[in-house]
Amino acid sequence: MTLWDLKQGTSATVQSFVSSLESSYRTRLSELGFHPGENISCVLSPSLGAPKLYRVNNSVYSLDDSVASLIKIGSQVGSQVGSPIGKSE
Amino acid sequence: MSKTILIGSPNSGKSLLFNRLTGLNQKVANFPGVTVDINSGKSLAHPDNKFFDFPGAYSLQTISGEEKIAVEAFYAALQDPQTSSVICVVDVTRLEKGLIFALQVINACAEQQKPLIIAANMIDVLNQHSLKMDVTGLEKALQVPVIAVSAKSGAGLEELQDKAISHTELPCAYSSDIIASDESVTHRQAQQLAADYGPKGDLLINAQTRLDEFFLHSWFGGISFLVIMYLLFQSIFTWAAPVMDGVESSLQFMAELILPLLPAGVVSDFTADALFGGIGAFLVFVPQIFVLTLVVGMLEDSGYLARAAVICHKPLRVFGLTGKSFIPMLSSVACAIPGIYAARTVDSPRKRWLTYLAIPLMPCSARLPVYSLLIAAFIPATNMFGGLIGWQGLAMFGIYVFGIVCGLLVTALVSKTNKDLQSDLPFVLEMPPYRLPSWRPLLRNAWSRSKHFVTKAGKVIFLVTVVIWLLGYFPNQGAALGESWLGQMGQWIEPIFSPFGLDWKYGVAILTSFLAREVFVGTLGTLFGIEGGEENIISLAEHIQNSGLPVGAGFALLVFFSIALQCVSTLAVLRRETGSWRLPTQLFISYSIFAYAAAWLTFVIVEAIV
Repeated sequence: MTLWDLKQGTSATVQSFVSSLESSYRTRLSELGFHPGENISCVLSPSLGAPKLYRVNNSVYSLDDSVASLIKIGSQVGSQVGSPIGKSE
Repeated sequence: MSKTILIGSPNSGKSLLFNRLTGLNQKVANFPGVTVDINSGKSLAHPDNKFFDFPGAYSLQTISGEEKIAVEAFYAALQDPQTSSVICVVDVTRLEKGLIFALQVINACAEQQKPLIIAANMIDVLNQHSLKMDVTGLEKALQVPVIAVSAKSGAGLEELQDKAISHTELPCAYSSDIIASDESVTHRQAQQLAADYGPKGDLLINAQTRLDEFFLHSWFGGISFLVIMYLLFQSIFTWAAPVMDGVESSLQFMAELILPLLPAGVVSDFTADALFGGIGAFLVFVPQIFVLTLVVGMLEDSGYLARAAVICHKPLRVFGLTGKSFIPMLSSVACAIPGIYAARTVDSPRKRWLTYLAIPLMPCSARLPVYSLLIAAFIPATNMFGGLIGWQGLAMFGIYVFGIVCGLLVTALVSKTNKDLQSDLPFVLEMPPYRLPSWRPLLRNAWSRSKHFVTKAGKVIFLVTVVIWLLGYFPNQGAALGESWLGQMGQWIEPIFSPFGLDWKYGVAILTSFLAREVFVGTLGTLFGIEGGEENIISLAEHIQNSGLPVGAGFALLVFFSIALQCVSTLAVLRRETGSWRLPTQLFISYSIFAYAAAWLTFVIVEAIV
């Protein structure tokens, strides 16, 4: 399963990168927070194949299928109806 | 003189801070990667200290050529004995990401034994939402001075400047606890520090997500994008119109006041034809440049442009581009030069190269006076729905769309036929938070852009206008334009432009516009001024209407100007960015041929219909 398969309002942990991903870009994704062990949630998944929005800590990034499908994730964790990125304090 | 380096992640508010500290007017926007050059300026509070604003970087480990240049320049500046301190700007609303970079900077400063200050920026945003961060705790953990600042409100800047100037009192030795050689350790440290001392809660990001759910919605997102873009172009006419009328009336008033005081003859004719007719015709369009720059700046500052890039990504990919190409393309609507610089934010070399092909076809503000003039001459000024929709605004929207479509078709064609064109990188774009635009820097930027437009283009227009007037006025003292030196020269070039219904006057104006597009308006203004005699103060659009120019020729001119690359500055900047004259030369020749052929075709089709 890859990050691109993650449904809106769910989260999962990054496991690894597909080997075809260039090492420099792997480093950059890690620096942005997409590193193995990190929990990522899908904030928004627009239709028609548009890039999806993913939340890593307090930042939101837009990734298209060409890169999100190169990040392997574990199983998805629960749907958070109404507030896909967690509740505010 | 001592030097202070300003460095930070993209969109951390670094350039706004730089402007505050130096009183300069560097371009700022709510979009990552706006600063592309190293800018410097003297400190307002301590003139013997100079600040250097470096382009934002996600990391000191680079993945592209441009990043490498910026990071190497940072390391070189660190080694400079004059560099007395470094300020690392961190956006406190996205603390962890900023700290990953700050920890790398601490590492670099430790190696060179340079003092570092962390500017915890955007503290005003936390205050607005009653959120807190533990600045003292973070300072103790990092063992580096941390100062809470707001580049927007100016809070904390005095303390920051004083700290930067008192660099001898700052520590140059760093705790081994915070210096990590391993990337994953840096990551864990940043995560822990952000969790321990950063603001708690998801209030900010939840608000951002609610707006994203609307602006990136499958339907509402697309509709709101089209509405915003339409209003942008409509505003150029409706908002600027009263000021344009004011400028025109003022020029008329001045002409009526000054001309009777001048002795009849050469001086009076020159003032009427070249100054009021030529330069005056160009000045009328400056309010439109101001409005256009202001509205594009508003969109940039609000954070909406990054969402527009996401919306456009899928459609632009069809044409070989990326959503990131949208920002340079939209910037080019104001001017191709900042558009070419903004293309540096397109990290994929292949897509950046394709973006360069599209930029000269974007409807830049230099085309605006030409479009406005021709539309005013050929399209009725009737409005619907209380001025919300007007035929002239629709025509402007149409010609803008035409330029954009041409740009996209060119990139699609080149992308499909040249698969091995440079290396590619995937699409990852950080979504900046939504913000209310800061009016003061926006107005200042629009004013400086308009001023730049007048002073830079104005010089060329003045010179061309004087030459055109002299050639058109002599040897018969303006008695018959067709028999003047210019008239005789014009007859030679008339065959080039006659296939699309233009006489020699338009031919001369087109040739002079290859210096800069706006010169077209000034040249025509001067020529009609000489020809018009007593009636040289009437508007240029009326002169064109009275000249009997066929409708097909008017449309052909619009098409010609929307394609041809008549801008020396664009060619020079493209050469600088690509490192050779190859691309600018290819674009100049191919777009000139394309423009000529498309204009001829337009003339034939329109004349067959009307």
